[in-house]
Amino acid sequence: MSDNLQLWLLFIVVGLGTFFIRLSFIQFHGSAEALIARSKHILMLLPPAILAALCIPAIVFTRPLTAYQPDYFQWIAALIAILIARFSRSVFWPVTGGMICLWLLRYMSS
Amino acid sequence: MKDYRKQFWLGVRDLLPLMSGVLPFGLITGATGVSLGMDPAMVVGMTALFFAGSAQLAAYSLIQDNAPFIIIVATTMVINLRFAIYSASFAPILGPLPKRYRFSLAYILSDQVYGLCSMPMEMAKNRSERIWYLAGVALALYVTWMISVILGIVLGAGIPAHWSLEFTIPLAFLAMLVTTITSRLLFMVAMISGCCAIAFQLLPFNSGFIVAVVAGVSGGLLLPSWLKMKGRSHE
Repeated sequence: MSDNLQLWLLFIVVGLGTFFIRLSFIQFHGSAEALIARSKHILMLLPPAILAALCIPAIVFTRPLTAYQPDYFQWIAALIAILIARFSRSVFWPVTGGMICLWLLRYMSS
Repeated sequence: MKDYRKQFWLGVRDLLPLMSGVLPFGLITGATGVSLGMDPAMVVGMTALFFAGSAQLAAYSLIQDNAPFIIIVATTMVINLRFAIYSASFAPILGPLPKRYRFSLAYILSDQVYGLCSMPMEMAKNRSERIWYLAGVALALYVTWMISVILGIVLGAGIPAHWSLEFTIPLAFLAMLVTTITSRLLFMVAMISGCCAIAFQLLPFNSGFIVAVVAGVSGGLLLPSWLKMKGRSHE
């Protein structure tokens, strides 16, 4: 199996899965009220759990091929991004501010 | 009919200010895809199939790490579980629609649609007005997203590697994390999940992510009752 073919297969499986999650309650409207009420609490807890698991390791460590090593510049850039995110609700400004901070730190230390 | 058209365009208009957040996220998504060596058609196909930016960014890093097929599917499905909330919230208005409208509107549900269409002002409208408004928001977002990813693909090829543009991905997730934490409990959930993600990042097959999410959610379910019990024992 070629690599590209495998990737396409992956995208189609994920695409279909995502579509069925989106359709789930809409499709079973009327017969799933109890399930909705019961799962709503768990679903509310998911976003912070998912986002934290996605970003925290990638911020704390750089990902070279050999070993995981802490990157303090990334920590400072992330702190700046958190500060900005508390004031602006968009994703754009925290990312921009964090990246500028990272570039400045690397430029100054080189 | 004229009135419904008005609702549709009202939805499109209300989305405009949110484009400033969608556009750069789409640019990052497109640019990162080509920087991983995928050909442009593939990135566009992936974007259309997923129509979910966070899941796509997570999939990129797993593909880069050569994670097994099933782990990539499981991880993206967990990330996309939030769409079940949106599906549940719009089930009363979208559920009774004919199949083709039901399916196509379900496909383009997104975070922004949920945000705009579940405001109190929207809830006060009648059902068909709400559907048309939702269609306006959702379609406008879909078009914005696809265009910004394609722009990202076009621009991405020219960005040098030492800019470490891949660091924008965790920063974007971090910014989203900050806005989702609205209570002390959710902060605890994020802390548990983040610490577990670090502790378990060397687990085989990149399964640490799923372990961390399960730990965070379980913590969120168990902590309130534990804390209550502790409070009672003090009485």
